[in-house]
Amino acid sequence: MTKIQLANSRFFYIHDDCEGPHPVDTHHIVIKRNSAWVSLAHLFVLLLFIKAIYLCLLNGTLGTIFLLSMLSSACLVKSYYGTLIEKESVVIIPSLGVQLEAHYWGGRVVCSFIPIDKILQPVLNENVTPFTCYWSLVLLVCGKKELILAFKVVKPPVKLLVPIWKALCAATCSGETADSPAEDK
Amino acid sequence: MGDSKRQRILMVSDFFYPNFGGVENHIYLLSQCLIKLGHKVVVMTHAYGNRSGVRYMTGGLKVYYVPWKPFLMQNTLPTFYGTLPIIRTILIREQISLVHGHQAFSTLCHEALMHARTMGYKVVFTDHSLYGFADVGSIHMNKVLQFTLADVSQAICVSHTSKENTVLRSGLPPEKVYVIPNAVDTAMFKPAAERPSGNEIVIVVISRLVYRKGADLLVEVIPEVCRMYPNVRFIVGGDGPKRVRLEEMREKHSLQDRVEMLGAVPHARVRSVLISGHIFLNSSLTEAFCIAILEAASCGLLTVSTRVGGVPEVLPDDMIVLAEPDPTDMVQAIKKAISILPMIDPQDMHNRMKKLYDWHDVAKRTEIVYDRALKCSNQSLLDRLSRYLACGAWAGKLFCLVMIIDFLLWRLLQLWKPAEDIEVVPDIVLSHDED
Repeated sequence: MTKIQLANSRFFYIHDDCEGPHPVDTHHIVIKRNSAWVSLAHLFVLLLFIKAIYLCLLNGTLGTIFLLSMLSSACLVKSYYGTLIEKESVVIIPSLGVQLEAHYWGGRVVCSFIPIDKILQPVLNENVTPFTCYWSLVLLVCGKKELILAFKVVKPPVKLLVPIWKALCAATCSGETADSPAEDK
Repeated sequence: MGDSKRQRILMVSDFFYPNFGGVENHIYLLSQCLIKLGHKVVVMTHAYGNRSGVRYMTGGLKVYYVPWKPFLMQNTLPTFYGTLPIIRTILIREQISLVHGHQAFSTLCHEALMHARTMGYKVVFTDHSLYGFADVGSIHMNKVLQFTLADVSQAICVSHTSKENTVLRSGLPPEKVYVIPNAVDTAMFKPAAERPSGNEIVIVVISRLVYRKGADLLVEVIPEVCRMYPNVRFIVGGDGPKRVRLEEMREKHSLQDRVEMLGAVPHARVRSVLISGHIFLNSSLTEAFCIAILEAASCGLLTVSTRVGGVPEVLPDDMIVLAEPDPTDMVQAIKKAISILPMIDPQDMHNRMKKLYDWHDVAKRTEIVYDRALKCSNQSLLDRLSRYLACGAWAGKLFCLVMIIDFLLWRLLQLWKPAEDIEVVPDIVLSHDED
C-alpha cells in the first residue's frame, strides 16, 4: 500500500510495505516537483517553437537556423532531464539484502544490491561542509573502506530518514536498539 | 548560591585537539568539567588534515571540525563573512545559549564572536597570551582585538598581568574582565614514589625550543651551571628551531654526557620525564600564565623560572625561585635552588597543589562568568554600533560598516535558509553498559 507518510517543503517520504509470500519493505524519498515552474517552462518552450516556425516561414535561412538550434536545445534539455533524479529508494528484502535504487526522470533506474550479511551497521551520519551541516543515512559495509550512502543525491531532513534507519536496523539486527536518541529536556 | 540553569556552550578556537598546547588543554579540560556540572558543551575548530566533520570525545563532548583550511600558524583563512553560514547553522542546530571564544590569535574565534553578536547571542572571550604594543603585527592584532571586544559580554584572563595587558590593548572596561587562572590535572601529575636518589641533581627543561620560550638563555646558562656544579645533569625535552643551537652548545662544551636531548615529548610522557628530575627550569621570555610550572610543581619539582608576565602569580614563594631573564641571574637562581633542594618534600608540594589548583574550580568560576554574561541586556544594532564607533576615528567607522554588512548578510541568510529548516540535533545520552 502506497501512502505519503512524511513530507517537507522539498521532499516526501513514502513507505511501501508489501505483505504476502515475498515481503519487501520499500522506502522512497521523492523530490517534490514544482508543477507551476514546469508548466511555465513548457509554455515558454512552446512559444519559442511557434516563433521559430513563424520565422522559418517568413525568412527561410534564418528561420531554419533558429529552428535547428531550437531542436538541438530541446534535445539537450531532454537529455538533461534524463539526468535529474525523480526519487531514490531503499528496498529491504528480509534475510536477503538491501537494494538502493535511483529513479531518473527519463525512466532510467540505477540499482545496487548489498547482501544482508555484509551490512555491519546503518548509521545516521552528520556531514559538515564549509557552509552547512546535513544528515545522511549511510551503511557500514564489510570489506569497504568508504561509507555507502543510502541516498546519493537527495539530502532529506533527518525526520524523513529516521523511519528508514529504524527499518534497516531491524532488518540487519544491529546490536544497538533503534530507539530515538533522548530529547533534551 | 542557587543552582545555575543548564547552559549550552559553544567553545570556538583554531587551537584544539589533535594539536597539543596550553589553549588546547584548557578548552578540553574546561569543557569536560562543565559537562560534569551538567552543561552541554560543543567545540568548533578547523579541520586538521583528514580529521574533518563531527567527532565525539570523552564525556560526549561534540567537536565540529569545519573544513576551512588553516593558512598561517594553524589559523583559518580570515574571510570576514565566509564563516557566517556554518556558524549560524551550528548555533541553531545545537540550540546554543552562549559562545565562548579562546585566544586572541585565532581568526576563527574573532569571526565566530562577531557573527554571534550579530545574531544576538551572548559571548565570552578568554585571552591566553600576552602581546606587545610596539611592532606592526601587534598593532594590527590589537586593533582586531579592540573590534572583537568592543561588544563582548564578558572577558576572562588567566592572570592579573594578562588582565592588565588585555585591558590596555583592547580598551575594554576592567570591570568586564575576570581573572580565572588555569589549573593542572593533579591526578595525572603525581610525584614519583621515590625521589631520584644519589649525588646527582637533575634539572629538567620541557618546552618548545623557540625564541619566546627563552631557548637562547638556556644556551648561556647550561654550560655555566655544568661548570659550577659537576654533579648537575640536564634533561631537555622539546623541539623547535633553536634545538640546533643547543646541540651546538653541547658539542662545543663537550656536555654530551651531562645534557640529554629528548626531542619532542608527547604530553602523555611529560610526567615520566618530570619525575626523573629534581628541579624544573623555565626560561620563557613572556608568559601570561605557565601551566608547565604547575605540572612540575604537582610532580614535586622545585621550579626556577624567569620573572616575566604572569609567572610570579602562579606558585607560592617557597615553591619557586625567580630570576630576571638574564643568564647571570638565572645561574644565581639555580644556585639558590640547589641549596634549598634538600628542604623540599615532593609529596607535600603535590598535596598543596591539589588544594590550590583544580579544573573543577575553574569550571565553577567560569559558570559564574557565564551567568553574568547571560544577564547582560539585549541591545539593538544601533546601540551596539555606538560601541564600535568609539574604537577610533577611521577604525570606528570601518568596524561599523563591517557590522552593518554582517547584519544585512545575516538577514539575507534568514530569508534564504530560514531557521525552521535547520533541524535541531537531539542530545546524545551516553549509555553505561552494565555487567
